Amino acid sequence: MLALATLASIVGVAIVYAIDWFPTQASTTSNDVDVLYDVLLFVSIPIFVGVMTVVVYSVMRFRARPGDMGDGEPIHGSARLELIWVIVPFVIVSVLSVYAWIVLDEQEEPRANEMVVRVTGQQFAWHFAYPDASGKTVRTDDLVLPEHRPVKFDITAEDVIHSFWVPAFRMKMDAVPGLTTSFRVTPNRQGNYSIVCTELCGLGHATMRQSLKVVPESEFAAWLEKKRGAGAANVSAGPSTTSTGVRSQ
Amino acid sequence: MESASVSFPARLEPGEKPVTHDHHGPPEANRSSRVDAQFLGMLLFIISEIMLFGAFFTAYFFIRGVANEAWPAEGTHLPVAVAGVNTAILISSSFTMHWALESAKNENRAGLRAGLLTTFLLGATFLAIQVNEYVHIGFAPGDHAQGSIFYGLTGLHGAHVFVGLTLLLFATVRAFRGHFTPKDHRGVEVPGIYWHFVDIMWILVYASIYVL
Amino acid sequence: MTMTARLTAPGWYRAALSVLAGALFAFGLVVLVRALYGYEPLVDGEAITTVALISMGVAFLLGIGCFDYWFRWASGAPTVPDDHSGHGARSWRDYFRVNTDHKVIGIQYIVTTFVFFVLGGLMAMLIRAELAAPGTQFVDPNTYNGLFSVHASLMIFLFIIPVFAGIANYVIPLMIGAPDMAFPRLNALSFWMLPVAGVMMTASFLAPGGAFATGWTAYAPLSTEMPVGQTFFTIAVQFAGASSIATALNFLVTIITMRAPGLTFFRMPLLVWANFTTSLLVVIATPFIAGSQFLVLFDRALGTHFFNPGGGGDVVMYQHIFWFYSHPAVYIMMLPGFGIVSEVISANARKPVFGYRMMAFSLVAIVILGFTVWAHHMFVSGMFSWLRVPMMITTMLIAVPTGIKIFSWLATLWRGVIHLTTPMLFALGFITMFTLGGISGIVLAILPVVIHVSDTYFVVAHIHYVLFGGSVFTIFAGLYFWFPKMTGRMYDETLGKIHFWLSFVFFNLTFGPMHFVGIDGMPRRVADYADQFASLNAIISVSSFLFGLSFLIFLYNMVTSWRNGPRAAANPWRAHTLEWQVSSPPPLFNFDDIPTVVGGPYEYGVPGAVHGVFKDREKEPVPAGTSGVAHE
Ligand code: HEA
Ligand code: HEA
Ligand code: CUA
Ligand SMILES: [Cu+2]
Repeated sequence: MLALATLASIVGVAIVYAIDWFPTQASTTSNDVDVLYDVLLFVSIPIFVGVMTVVVYSVMRFRARPGDMGDGEPIHGSARLELIWVIVPFVIVSVLSVYAWIVLDEQEEPRANEMVVRVTGQQFAWHFAYPDASGKTVRTDDLVLPEHRPVKFDITAEDVIHSFWVPAFRMKMDAVPGLTTSFRVTPNRQGNYSIVCTELCGLGHATMRQSLKVVPESEFAAWLEKKRGAGAANVSAGPSTTSTGVRSQ
Repeated sequence: MESASVSFPARLEPGEKPVTHDHHGPPEANRSSRVDAQFLGMLLFIISEIMLFGAFFTAYFFIRGVANEAWPAEGTHLPVAVAGVNTAILISSSFTMHWALESAKNENRAGLRAGLLTTFLLGATFLAIQVNEYVHIGFAPGDHAQGSIFYGLTGLHGAHVFVGLTLLLFATVRAFRGHFTPKDHRGVEVPGIYWHFVDIMWILVYASIYVL
Repeated sequence: MTMTARLTAPGWYRAALSVLAGALFAFGLVVLVRALYGYEPLVDGEAITTVALISMGVAFLLGIGCFDYWFRWASGAPTVPDDHSGHGARSWRDYFRVNTDHKVIGIQYIVTTFVFFVLGGLMAMLIRAELAAPGTQFVDPNTYNGLFSVHASLMIFLFIIPVFAGIANYVIPLMIGAPDMAFPRLNALSFWMLPVAGVMMTASFLAPGGAFATGWTAYAPLSTEMPVGQTFFTIAVQFAGASSIATALNFLVTIITMRAPGLTFFRMPLLVWANFTTSLLVVIATPFIAGSQFLVLFDRALGTHFFNPGGGGDVVMYQHIFWFYSHPAVYIMMLPGFGIVSEVISANARKPVFGYRMMAFSLVAIVILGFTVWAHHMFVSGMFSWLRVPMMITTMLIAVPTGIKIFSWLATLWRGVIHLTTPMLFALGFITMFTLGGISGIVLAILPVVIHVSDTYFVVAHIHYVLFGGSVFTIFAGLYFWFPKMTGRMYDETLGKIHFWLSFVFFNLTFGPMHFVGIDGMPRRVADYADQFASLNAIISVSSFLFGLSFLIFLYNMVTSWRNGPRAAANPWRAHTLEWQVSSPPPLFNFDDIPTVVGGPYEYGVPGAVHGVFKDREKEPVPAGTSGVAHE
């Protein structure tokens, strides 16, 4: 039985490891999350497969013969076994909690040279504001981030709750009216990534998607400069209707 | 072998006569606890009522505690003294309620009636003063969140006073129609428990809204 | 009966009349109040609807006759507390009136809740049809949002929670040797509030602006801004919640005060334990959802600012209040199922439940822990960030008591004599599928992971693994198991097994792939999605249709077997608990005399062991009958 369960677990773990679960990684902490998830798979597949094996094995082994009206052995319990299956799960979840906590702390660690970007959710689009060196803000409807530069998003909402999710960063945070929430990432891979609103916010929730661009530092500086030039036009930018339809992934 | 008892299917064809001792009714249920069923029921109901207040107190906690703004907001005034008098009225009604119950136990019919009636009147006075306070307080539930929770908590409590008064009304009517004996006074006792709960809850509401 | 007699006697005529009166009352009241305050225009549709939903709901209960007895009592008129005129069913018509027999009420509950299950399920079919391909297929986004909101609300508030109450209503008094519930009239009232709530939720599709479309979670401030359909949810939840609380209170009092002599707490069958602990959860937690919906209603109807940050309100507060109920609610939706599975497994493995006491204690532990984890639904909500790690830890700790249950069931199977009957199949299916769903719950509790997968299809997968693979499988197990007791007939075993295998396979094909699309980036609650998810969603949709169709086998089996299945013996499973020691279906008042309990409920294999004895019978349980016995 034990051998069977081990074998099945190995097969199970092999299968789930063969699956490509996550979208691209584009931040320094995305890999930590994916590794954590792999560890979870490694722990939980044997638990599931083990339960499954005992059920299937018992059914095949202890199935009543036709006409067998007898009873099983009246075993009422076993203090030792019961203690084991209190302690083992307890240890597993404790270890996992500590591990998760460590990864969380790593994700939320403030970093030097941090750039703050203000994100505002509105039915049904995202708006962004970059503070620039002179203390003015540059408002845009598209999000461009320099590679390798830590960024902190300060997130809020105008009307109802939205949620600012960048799957490639493995990060998400609700945009709450009347509250500023935040998360930190350091993008480390150039490219286009999607921004998805994941909190039901009304009619346009499904299409409240935009994309962000991670570019080299120099390109970013040029872009920001250009936006500042266009500043006057952009400062009053109301809800944008152009970017709501963007769908990418 | 079918069971030894007479079989009485839950479904009979129309017109079919049930083959049972329909006449003798159900067997007496075993009493497996010394606690009286109605008393226990009222207790559990009160627990869930406390939790309902808990939900409103959570709102109070967020609006006052988490928001951390001046309470009451500048320019508003809470009539602490009037509400204090009102508190005294409500608390005294708990004593008259107790008196009514004791009277019922001692077969003092006049005391029972007088006790229930005064309790009812004191409760009604409380409500009237509360309504009067609403009229003169100078802000509305729609003015700001503090107003919302002020009316929310006191209003929820007022609604409970109203329910309590309704129960008291039943008991009073029944008392005047000659119900309740030293042996059977559950109809006074159970609304009484509810009434005491309403009073104690008011002390909490009063303390957190007006005093703190 | 003359027409006036018909209209004044409790029943459907009077109910129709009073619902009409309720509508007129609402109209009149709103117009009157608006006239007094000088508002223009006098007729405000939204205000009238709000009042009408309350007044028509209450009017229906008045009309159908839930309160007649109490009114007589309250006015001091003579009443017979032991009046049994409303007890029992002599024809099918008796199921359509206010009945005080817990067995009738149990069946009323089960049938009604299955009606709402089918409705909610058909909405799921529309959801899957829409999601079969990216882009818009059949419904506009507003209708789509309404569909999944009503789907989930019906499933949770009108199916899972009350169907367990229905099964328990039928079985618990029998199991503890009581002639009925403690408060039969309250029991009837609890039942009749359900159709009110369910019809209200379903009818919201007719409201201008469409059904409520904020999910079953109805987060503010979206829910305070949506069209009037939202009010249907807000008020329907109050009826469903009141019904739940009243039943729970009834169960608690019944179990505490009406157990048969000798039935100590540690001799109670685990189903009784399960409902006892569930009822504690209901009584303590449900008022919080009532509170949350009251506050939403006030914001909507009275212009208060509870959830308006502009006026000093707090948006996250809604979620704290809501989840303080709705997390315990997921255990309200699971613990009764744990109880059912314990009964089914021990009877079909012919063994005592392994570690009986730990099974009872773990239920209590889940209840207590269940109150300490609500904010695991709010990990990305912007709530107090210090609260996240404590909530993660308490959430994960729930794996411990739940694990005790899973492992004890496995140990119960071990060296048993296993009869693979339909209820047993569903119980075993439950063990495996719930383990998977529970593990995905643990994944959802791990902060760095949940930050990524929260509000994605991974959560939708978790929901359905624990609720369908968990709760609904136990409901099927329970219904097949007690079907002979409830109807006096045996269901068709072959059809039952086909039903199980089709459900099991298509269940996994439907909800398994949702894990993948979720992690890969597909958010929940969207009518439209990125093209990269198209192929998996197509598979999911096709499987879900086949999954839905498999339910028809169950329906067919239940209906035909009820009408002309073979007569069932009193005790086809040779089980020891008390409900099997009386005829199938049981006598009108359950027992002619109350049995005395002399031992544990699951002493299978112990020579000569009995659970309960009856005065006028041999001191042994009724042996299994000869007809309709299901074993192979
Ligand atoms: C029947 C209903 C039910 C049940 C029983 C559960 C059980 C659990 N749920 Fe679930 N949950 C829901 C219904 C349910 N849930 C619903 C409806 C939602 C979504 C609400 C919404 O947003 O719409 C949700 C959402 C939800 C979230 C929020 C996700 C999000 O929105 O971001 C989380 C996060 O922690 C969570 C966790 C858990 C955990 C840890 C358990 C645990 O109780 C599970 C414990 C069980 C096991 C772990 C398996 C058996 C144990 C063993 C075999 C022992 C060994 C195991 C280990 C050591 C791991 N659930
Ligand atoms: C007990 C609870 C329960 C149950 C049983 C179900 C059952 C099903 N659910 Fe549901 N579901 C929830 C609870 C439940 N769900 C919750 C809480 C949510 C979250 C909502 C939110 O976000 O607010 C949700 C959300 C949800 C979504 C996500 C919507 C979104 O986020 O956009 C989807 C999508 O596939 C879905 C599908 C299904 C399907 C296919 C079934 C099937 O199992 C249904 C099978 C049943 C039938 C089909 C009916 C009976 C069959 C017949 C009468 C035969 C006729 C059949 C045909 C014509 C084919 N559900
Ligand atoms: Cu914005 Cu969803
Ligand atoms: Cu939860």
